[in-house]
Amino acid sequence: MTTAPDDTGDEARKQPRVHFDRHAPEYRHHFEEKTQEFHGGCPLAWSDTYGGHWVAAGNRELLAFARAGEKLSNDHDVHGERRGYQGISIPAPPRGRGLRGGFLEMDPPEQRAYRGALNPYLSPAAIKRWIPFIDEVTRACLDERIESGRIDFVDDLANIVPAVFTLAMMGIPLKKWELYNEPAHAGVYTPPNSPEMARVVEAHMAMIKDIAATLQEVRATPRPGLADALARMEIDGKAPADSDLIGALALLIGGGFDTTTALTAHALEWLSEHPAERERLSREREALLDTATEEFLRYFTPAPGDGRTVAEDCEISGKQFKEGDRLWLSWAMANRDPAVFADPDRVDLARGGNRHTAFGLGIHRCIGSNVARAVFKRMLLHVLDRVPDFVCDPEGTVHYETIGVIQGMRHLPATFTPGRRLGPGLAETLETLQRACDEQGLAEPVTVRKAEAKLR
Amino acid sequence: MKVRVDPERCQGHTLCAMRAPKVFELSEIDGHSSPVTEDVPADQEDAVVEAVRSCPERAISVF
Repeated sequence: MTTAPDDTGDEARKQPRVHFDRHAPEYRHHFEEKTQEFHGGCPLAWSDTYGGHWVAAGNRELLAFARAGEKLSNDHDVHGERRGYQGISIPAPPRGRGLRGGFLEMDPPEQRAYRGALNPYLSPAAIKRWIPFIDEVTRACLDERIESGRIDFVDDLANIVPAVFTLAMMGIPLKKWELYNEPAHAGVYTPPNSPEMARVVEAHMAMIKDIAATLQEVRATPRPGLADALARMEIDGKAPADSDLIGALALLIGGGFDTTTALTAHALEWLSEHPAERERLSREREALLDTATEEFLRYFTPAPGDGRTVAEDCEISGKQFKEGDRLWLSWAMANRDPAVFADPDRVDLARGGNRHTAFGLGIHRCIGSNVARAVFKRMLLHVLDRVPDFVCDPEGTVHYETIGVIQGMRHLPATFTPGRRLGPGLAETLETLQRACDEQGLAEPVTVRKAEAKLR
Repeated sequence: MKVRVDPERCQGHTLCAMRAPKVFELSEIDGHSSPVTEDVPADQEDAVVEAVRSCPERAISVF
């Protein structure tokens, strides 16, 4: 934290100054030090990086922004039709990457219409119906590896279950999970200048093409799911533009895939490093599963933050803001705020008062939070029951090089005492599950279908 | 002890219902919370205090 040389005029309000580059590889390695610097006296500061933007790192400050209503905007004005705001990414994606990030890059009332259409598919009651489905995908993933005594928890489990389940809820055929999986993960971890990028862009284009085709299909032949909800929605009597609907479906993919993978991988890596805590969690799961899940969410915060644009001159949290100022809300740093969390850099599986911000705050709270929790908990329990002595291999573990977008992992290999298969492999299981989706209408909203999935 | 959930502040994080499932019910549609009754049973007071401490939006008040 420093005071800028130019402390006159408009520069005077942009204090205190920090250098904050969350896309730099160093940030991942110095996350705790950097976070402590913010909490030591500048929980709301100005950084000159990426064209200059505010950085909010304190829990109190984030809550103030969450309650600021129309003073902040999520809008991404891709075509320059409104005020030119750049949405939730800092820096904004290069021009020509022309899709709004769904309803996360919209403001009310438009945003509210989308959330209203999708909520009945994603509420706690809606997700609870899917538990047998999630269990069955998880069982099949573990069965593929259990006789070998070796697994990559990312490639063989945590990449697959969230992907298959997200597609099921959307109403997209389960067998397409790999088509969606590659861009959803590689698109996040591949550096822009890498030789791999051309292939990733191609995979991303194929995914967008399939999303667009899905939208046409459900219009022609309705089938239940989130895609159908979007295809049928209207705002003030009018259907939204196809590009906005495609953006919303891509947002559901991005939100549903890489984030839960990241949470699960980090939690399993931590539990491998802390075997006594792993045993305690397994033994006392009735008491600890919820608090441990929230603690892993707090500590690892897979989606580390979101950008906003200040929509009018105003004062928030004691600072003066000008219309057009960019702002980064760091959910990850606020989750280490010592004013809210005692001993914030320690994992406490029984932590009380854990009002973390891993799903954001305010009207844009992660709409898939109930999905993430359910999928994480089921995968964790299956692992604790079926491969309880797993040991992760640090040599083969690959974390994302940068954590500016998702704090994720590419590989997490582990060994364990081999066990017995319980049922068919993944391909056959997905066929069985696809039939269940089609016959029972599993992807209907909870307002239409109350019953739990029946799979046996 | 009485409890209230501010519907303007509640965003459906669901932590209150994890901490005090007998006191808070969640909307089937969007997971937003409301107390089953305003009066908190004596044996639920600790759980409700923990729910207040756990709410990310600070939407719950006891009085």
